[in-house]
Amino acid sequence: MNKMTKTSEQKLASIVDESMELISRRNFFRKAAVYSASAVVATSVLSPVKLNAADDPAIIEEQEWGTKWGEPVTTNLYGQPSAYESNVTRRTTSLLSSGNMRASIAVTPIQDIEGIITPNGLFFNRNHGGTPDIDPNMHRLMVHGLLEKPLVLTMDQLKKYPRVTRTHFIECPANGGPEWRNPQFPSIQFSKGFMSCAEWTGVYIKDIIKDLGLKPTARWMLAEGVDSSHMGRTIPIDKVLDDAMIVWGQNGEALRPEQGYPIRLLVPGWEGNLSVKWLGRLEFASEPFYCKEETAKYTALTPSGKAIQHFYINEVNSVISSPCPEKPWEDIKKGDTVEIEGLAWSGAGTVSGVDISFDGGKNWVEASLKGLVLPKSWTRFSYIYKYEGKPLFLSSRARDDAGYVQPSIKQERDAVGIEGVYHRNGIHTWEITKKGEVKNVQILS
Amino acid sequence: MFKSYHKLVSTVVIVALASVSAIAGDDASRTYENGKKVIDGGMTYPVKDGKTASYYVNTQKEYNDVKFGRTATPNEIKAWDIDVMPDGTGLPEGEGSVEDGDELYEAKCSSCHFDFGVGGSGYPALQQGNAYEMQKTLTNQRLTPEDDGPKRNFGSYWPYASTLYWYIKTGMPHPAPMSLSVDETYALVAYMLSINEITIDGEELEDEYVLNREKFLKIQMPNKDGFIPVIDGKDGLENVRKFYDDPKNFGANKTRCMKDCFDGEPKVARIQGVGISEYDPPLSAKKEKPAKKEGEGAGNPGQATYDSSCAVCHATDAMGAPPSGDKAAWDRTLKKGKEEVYKNGINGINGMPPKGGNTSLTDEQFKAAVDFMIESAK
Repeated sequence: MNKMTKTSEQKLASIVDESMELISRRNFFRKAAVYSASAVVATSVLSPVKLNAADDPAIIEEQEWGTKWGEPVTTNLYGQPSAYESNVTRRTTSLLSSGNMRASIAVTPIQDIEGIITPNGLFFNRNHGGTPDIDPNMHRLMVHGLLEKPLVLTMDQLKKYPRVTRTHFIECPANGGPEWRNPQFPSIQFSKGFMSCAEWTGVYIKDIIKDLGLKPTARWMLAEGVDSSHMGRTIPIDKVLDDAMIVWGQNGEALRPEQGYPIRLLVPGWEGNLSVKWLGRLEFASEPFYCKEETAKYTALTPSGKAIQHFYINEVNSVISSPCPEKPWEDIKKGDTVEIEGLAWSGAGTVSGVDISFDGGKNWVEASLKGLVLPKSWTRFSYIYKYEGKPLFLSSRARDDAGYVQPSIKQERDAVGIEGVYHRNGIHTWEITKKGEVKNVQILS
Repeated sequence: MFKSYHKLVSTVVIVALASVSAIAGDDASRTYENGKKVIDGGMTYPVKDGKTASYYVNTQKEYNDVKFGRTATPNEIKAWDIDVMPDGTGLPEGEGSVEDGDELYEAKCSSCHFDFGVGGSGYPALQQGNAYEMQKTLTNQRLTPEDDGPKRNFGSYWPYASTLYWYIKTGMPHPAPMSLSVDETYALVAYMLSINEITIDGEELEDEYVLNREKFLKIQMPNKDGFIPVIDGKDGLENVRKFYDDPKNFGANKTRCMKDCFDGEPKVARIQGVGISEYDPPLSAKKEKPAKKEGEGAGNPGQATYDSSCAVCHATDAMGAPPSGDKAAWDRTLKKGKEEVYKNGINGINGMPPKGGNTSLTDEQFKAAVDFMIESAK
């Protein structure tokens, strides 16, 4: 707030306090002097008038942005969000970070995301050795192993293949993982924000390797990054020849450095870790590679002592994003009719429906899907609800075209225990208190 | 609302199996063009009438004629082919002793993984005791706060040692990957096996034990058979396909209950205390301009280096390094004179690796970071 606006605010407050005071000509002239640069506008707003307590200063007062020049078009040639959106950022917590913040995660504020696209600056970021500063002129993609012709492509050559544009989410399979044993985060951003969704542009790997003479013994593909972690993952040939992509475009522009600039792998619907960033090398082999991230991590230990490895899909899942702990119902009154909105997604296919429960999952009603419904993409759902001012246990449950239905927490724990770390997709519940606060709870029935 | 209510009473339990394709439309398939089931138990979207799902595609036959790039040379492949596989593919000849590994570990690894690989400060433990014993803890479930959890680390959990060689060689030390020689890597692997009490051919790895390629290929990790599905061998892919064809194998559900889905009132688990609520930046839903940080834009060139390369050890006294901002600790260090402090730091001393492990720093950058820490301590 600048000085001028502050002065006028105080003035208006005193006017309202004295309710229905008639502003004198003298007051007007004093005010007009304060607003010397905008006297003409001031005249129309501040002509003698009876002000009521209900009059909104945002309307009654002239605002600086209506009376002064704004920024020229030369400001921010690459645009930035409004400075008032400064609290809409990725966030970190030391619990999920190495001390040097290089092998760490910064999570997406899904409470603030509109629709099904995550802006590039808010896309969640999981690194294993920091974000590299790669010169695209010095970057190459190598394809080798069990093929007749090993291939090298510059970035310009890669981008000459026919482009494919697809909307897919990427989710870290540890999304919700810290909450296997108990709810921990009073926040949707940390409870469910290890994921984002974008429109990606690139090429199908099948379009690049089609004439390289892939040998019939090639069952697995290693994808490896060129950053300091040299992180790799092994992908079965079935997925490589189905919908795996190499992408350079994200939401209409180049990938951001934190998302793998200049290129990353995109393995739609599967563990985010497989979508290797800063991609440099694809190697085809007859046996799996046993990369560090598919032995030490990204395996789900079950009570039998056996761990599920190569656990690919992020299973069908959903969360209510409005209300949520960051966007509570404290300003919603009894009798108000409001929209309950949320996100559903499935790595197995396309979301086919979402149910809502007000009693923690005992009884369910069907919500509406909204907007575009695409395979392996975030999908919006909506339910219009008359709020009765009573406490609620608000849950959502998605299902997909492969036939999977989100399990209850009890069903999931009974099946795989609580030490899996990854792939937790049990039904998520918010407790709405009498005051309209929103708390993260788990229903164990 | 009425419609939903009607659905609620008429479809108490829907078992979503055969009815599903009707919901999804006929654009999705459970099988690939080759007739095999989708490997992950999910759906694929074949191109039909010029579309895959909602996306239009170009179906010109010339589409497949697009090709660019050139053949990779043998030297290029050799330079980039850095992986090491369980059968020894990619594992070079070389050797290193447990003793040498111990020394290297002290110099290059202990600043993050602590003595004997016990881990801490967000860095993983490299051992938690005898690997064969720890492997037995993998059935543990922390059902009550008193329960011990499963001990997952290299020794107790990883199925193959090749992963360790590969990861140390290409990913460690974390601030300076690709800096270890083949022999140094063998030595560190030998040390890792020894602190996990893993034997090779029944032999314990004493200090003088020298690991080489031949012995390496005999390593049998305790948890080799601890993973499902079995992905090795010519049936690997079919094992995976079969595994994900049965929802029971991975805890998936295909039942949609609509009414009275459990008995009685819901059993509720709540966050204990305030839970994990320390976030950076703190949560706020306010629409406000950012607060200006004090001293913003002052731009101490040493601070950036400190933040990226030194803070990990020098932020606190946990590592035994003089903490930035600790006057007494820096007074002690500076007794030998500033030039000596620079020299020791550049060459490494005690637990301090050369240039703190970031050998890409110039001497000037390194000195500026030292100056920053000294200034902060005044």
